Amino acid sequence: MTTTAKQKVGWGTANTVAVVLAIVPVLWIVSLSFKDPATITDASFWPKKWTLENYRGIFKTSEFTHALINSIGIALIATFIAVVLASMAAYAVARLSFPGKGLLIGMSLLIAMFPAISLVTPLFNIERSLHLFDTWPALIIPYIAFGLPLGIYTLSAFFREIPWELEKAAKMDGATPYQAFTKVIAPLAAPGMFTTAILIFIFCWNDFLFAISLTSTTNARTVPAAIGFFTGSSQFTAPTGSISAAAVIITIPIIIFVLFFQRRIVAGLTSGAVKG
Amino acid sequence: MTTVSTDRAPSVDKPPRRSSAPDAAYSLSSRERWMRRAPLLPGLIFLIIVTQLPFVATLVISFMRWNALSPQNKGFAGIDNYRKVFSDSALRASIVFTIVLTVTVVLVSLLLGMLIALLLDRAFFGRGVVRTLMITPFLVVPVAAALLFKHGIYNPSFGLLNGTLTAIWNVFNGSAPQPDWLTEHPKLMIEAQLIWQWTPFMMLILLAGLQSRDKEVVQAAHVDGASPWQVFRYITFPHLRKYLELGGLLGSIYIVQNFDSVFTITSGGLGTANLPYTIYQTFFSAHDYGLASAQGVVVVVGSLIIATFALRVVSSLFEEGV
Repeated sequence: MTTTAKQKVGWGTANTVAVVLAIVPVLWIVSLSFKDPATITDASFWPKKWTLENYRGIFKTSEFTHALINSIGIALIATFIAVVLASMAAYAVARLSFPGKGLLIGMSLLIAMFPAISLVTPLFNIERSLHLFDTWPALIIPYIAFGLPLGIYTLSAFFREIPWELEKAAKMDGATPYQAFTKVIAPLAAPGMFTTAILIFIFCWNDFLFAISLTSTTNARTVPAAIGFFTGSSQFTAPTGSISAAAVIITIPIIIFVLFFQRRIVAGLTSGAVKG
Repeated sequence: MTTVSTDRAPSVDKPPRRSSAPDAAYSLSSRERWMRRAPLLPGLIFLIIVTQLPFVATLVISFMRWNALSPQNKGFAGIDNYRKVFSDSALRASIVFTIVLTVTVVLVSLLLGMLIALLLDRAFFGRGVVRTLMITPFLVVPVAAALLFKHGIYNPSFGLLNGTLTAIWNVFNGSAPQPDWLTEHPKLMIEAQLIWQWTPFMMLILLAGLQSRDKEVVQAAHVDGASPWQVFRYITFPHLRKYLELGGLLGSIYIVQNFDSVFTITSGGLGTANLPYTIYQTFFSAHDYGLASAQGVVVVVGSLIIATFALRVVSSLFEEGV
């Protein structure tokens, strides 16, 4: 295949346009977050004077710090429990055959598609009567419920790729079942579990609907809900600077995760369905 | 309600690889059969308790007259709530907008995602960096992205859109039009934000599809004198079809439920209330628990129909294609 110079220019231009459209809004957040609150409306693309004022602003009150702690804690706990439960289920799905397996998988797929809004309204009433409303478990419980099907789906795909014969081989060589699991199977399963954990973590981290519906104070409010309630320095100014700073802070961990594990995350999302 | 599609769920198509004794499970004692299911049970029981029991509660409440603002007037209402759901014109409008929003965002981002994936499928200097830059929109926390578009991009006085217009017009010494994007095109603006965010996701899935394509077939076609369009039409596109389906399915599931963008960009104003937002309003602002539950049930039934249909389409594709 030969490429003429003209074609090369064409492809290069198309690439540039696509990258600019994707990346400029992101750079704009970063730029806004470093602008002086007084000049945030000056519409210049780069800050005339770089300042950390917005970042200092959101950490000045405990509201954002609290939200950050809530976000990290809730997402980590929910992810951990969901990955443990999903691994057990995916193990059974990938390795054992038993009647009704198809039904179980279909059910978990359908639950993954269950509209979150239809769950918010009953959970609100139930959690209020159980005095769970506005606590960490109030969010952890629905997050596990939505993280689980996602986890079962991706982990089944990963587990199916593991050469389970190795486990038998290890046992024949005299390993106990425990040793066979920890020394042979666990290291093979770890990358898949880790990828799944990242996907579930991102889901919990990004959630907004449950976060604003099932919390009411800084007690359990996570960052996405907290930035929805940000106000400017007066009620007539838009809190653009603080929102941008908060957006930068909460987006950084996700970008780092994904950049490191990009290939594997795509594999996790596509292999389950496409390789079947 | 869950049995309809399960016999055709995609992951069931292929039996587990370790099939030294495929029928052994069916001759086990019932105790052993339950032992085999045991690892599945904690997750499954949890899912049923957390998602299905509340749904039963919703079902019950949907037949009740229950507004938290007048707690004395609580009782059985029959199908009144459902009648209200289907006769309310605002609600019908929100159903229509939900469909329009989902279809527009999924189709446009699939198309753009495919174009970008085709661009990135060619080897060129700095491809890795370009791909990484391309996926960043998907990584921005959705609420943050929606807030950013509202305040930072669509704002008529200092937003990026009007700023760019001014910059372009300045080159020609004219005065730029400064439309108030959100008031003039509220639906389009929500769609644009979601397309910006979802295109990278589609691109990632389609790129994985392109890279699993057999390179030799493509080369052979070139040698035989096929034009690039013919290669795309008869080789690449059929191969991508199941990836397009997968992207479309996953995208629809999430965009039908979209709440973040509608809530933050327009707060459902100017005709942009979609179904999830409407339910949220009925429940948390109007405090009409009965009506909100009936709406919730309608949404569940609707999405079950879509999900069943989607699962069937996808699994039939797998049967043909793989």
